[in-house]
Parts: sequence; structure tokens; C-alpha cells
Amino acid sequence: MTHQTHAYHMVNPSPWPLTGALSALLMTSGLTMWFHFNSGTLLTLGLLTNSLTMYQWWRDVVRESTFQGHHTAVVQTGLRYGMILFIMSEVFFFAGFFWAFYHSSLAPTPNLGGYWPPAGINPLNPMEVPLLNTLVLLASGVSITWAHHSLMEGNRKHSLQALLITISLGIYFTLLQTSEYFEASFTISDGIYGSTFFVATGFHGLHVMIGSTFLTICFLRQLKFHFTSKHHFGFEAAAWYWHFVDVVWLFLYISIYWWGS
Amino acid sequence: MAAAAAVGTRVSRLLGRSLPQQGRPMSSGAHGEEGSARMWKALTYFVALPGVAVSMLNVFLKSHHGEHERPEFIAYPHLRIRSKPFPWGDGNHTLFHNPRVNPLPTGYEDE
Repeated sequence: MTHQTHAYHMVNPSPWPLTGALSALLMTSGLTMWFHFNSGTLLTLGLLTNSLTMYQWWRDVVRESTFQGHHTAVVQTGLRYGMILFIMSEVFFFAGFFWAFYHSSLAPTPNLGGYWPPAGINPLNPMEVPLLNTLVLLASGVSITWAHHSLMEGNRKHSLQALLITISLGIYFTLLQTSEYFEASFTISDGIYGSTFFVATGFHGLHVMIGSTFLTICFLRQLKFHFTSKHHFGFEAAAWYWHFVDVVWLFLYISIYWWGS
Repeated sequence: MAAAAAVGTRVSRLLGRSLPQQGRPMSSGAHGEEGSARMWKALTYFVALPGVAVSMLNVFLKSHHGEHERPEFIAYPHLRIRSKPFPWGDGNHTLFHNPRVNPLPTGYEDE
């Protein structure tokens, strides 16, 4: 008989790492073709293969764990380490953009007028929609904690309700931010102010969308009874990611929206 | 009391960064503390969501719909930079271009 005598997960051979790597190549070369040669084909192909890879890879993880039982305690510990390390890498990713912002705003150059915000820039009022955005994300942090505790206490109805509230708040944030992007009197092409503002908040917005998607997957999985009250790491990973997104926003709000105005 | 606890919880959560939820001694899939879900539900409905509602009201009260005054256009060289055309449209409009408040390098479009 072919039984393993250890608790680890020796994953079966899979094509998704290869398709993922290929999709990365298609996306990067596709961006080049789009920016410099006015062609979007490679990029579209890259985005398509990237989405397909993610869908199938993670579908396989769910199959291996929920349906085949490969995620023992030690496997789950490894996944925890992995998620923590990934989030840490994202922290450093954002740290770079905050560095850029502070580098430019702490010592504004003469061509900006020697002050910050630079001449001709009318920043958004931090006490209006940005403040609402802050409360929306903080509230979503509370509701996702409610969802987690409900899950741990085996309350199906409440965990679904709380997750739904969290996802709705995330979507509300995205809608508000999109509106702000259209309403702002400054654009990404408005010098270093525009660059730092839109790149930092833009990547944050992308992460909100990713986090909302992750939470939606958790919602669907909970509907399908995938989680137990004691084993629901997918949900915990989504919750960690969501809190991370919230914390990044708080730093953005305080640095760029508030101090930077 | 619940409000003070909520603020305390929120502050410790803010400091938590990328770590799993703070102050949960029985976390990581272990049995959840009895009744704690009830507290978070109460926090959600009595603190978090009302806070959002108040903030929405604040935005509504402060908004000036259909404001016609907009900053005068000054062709600063450090703004509206066009080192290379954008890869969409005519290459001269940003992705979230709003003709009412975003002038092109040559000025507002509707003037």
C-alpha cells in the first residue's frame, strides 16, 4: 500500500507554476508592447493566463485541503508562515512608496515652490470623503472580527452575515475612492505630488480589490460548508490580509491625506 | 464602557500590523471564547456602522454640489507633465480625467 508515514503534504505534480511563470512573462512583455508599440494583445493574453492560473491553482489547494484532507496541523503551520511572510513582503512594497512620498514632501524642491503641497495643487480635504473611507475600513475590521468569532463559535448565519457586511464595506470603499479619483482637481501627471499620491493610493486600491475578492471566495466557501469551527485557515489568511489593507490605508491617510495637505 | 473597550480594542488592533488579531489567547483555530462573537456583533451594529453613517452625513453636509468656482489655470511647468503620451485615447488625458476640474497642459477643455 502507498501510505505516507509523515504528516507533510507532498503535492502532486502541477502545471500551474509553469503557466503562472509564462503568464508573468506575457504580462511584462505585454506592458512593454502596450506602452511603446501601441499593441494590447500580449498583455490581454497575459492577464487571461494569469487569471486562469490563479483560479486553477487555488481551486486545487481547496481540493487538496477541504476534500482530500492533506492540510494537517504542521501543513497549516507552514501555510501560516507563508502568509505572514507574503504580507511582510507587501509591507516592504508599500514602504518604498511611502519613502518616495516622504523624500519628496519633507524637502520640497524649488521648482515646486519650495513648499508642500506644491504650487498649483489643491489637495483633497482629509475631513470629507477620506475620513469616511477611514471609518469604512475600520468598520470592516470590526465586522470581519465578528465574522471570525461567529465562525469559531459555529454560528453559520452570523458568520455569513458579518462576512457580507465586510465585503460590502470593501466595495463601498472602492466606489468612494473611484469617485474621489474622478473628482480630484489634480492628476497623476501633476508632478511628484500626483505621482506619489496616485501610485500609493492606487496600489492600495488594488489591494482592497484583491482583499475583497479573497473575502468573497471565503463567503462562497462558507456557503458550501468548507470551513469548520476549528479549521478555517483560508478565512484567517483573508482576515490577516484585510487587516493589513486597513493598516496601509491608515498610514496613507495620516501621511498623504492629512500631514501632506 | 463598551465604547471605551471598543476604542481600546481598536487601538490595539491598529498597532497589530500584520500579525493575527491581537489579544486572542485562544486563537489559531482553537475554541473561541464563549460570547465574544456577541460583543463583536454589538460593536459592529452599535459603534462601527453608526460611525460610518455619521461620517456619511458629514460628507453630505460638507459637499457643495455643482460648484462652479474652480482654480484659475496657470501653466506651471511642474504640473500636467507629458513626457510621453498615455497609451490610451489621444494620449493626452489621464485615466480618471474630469474635464470640469482637470485642465490639459494647454488649459481647461471647456474654456
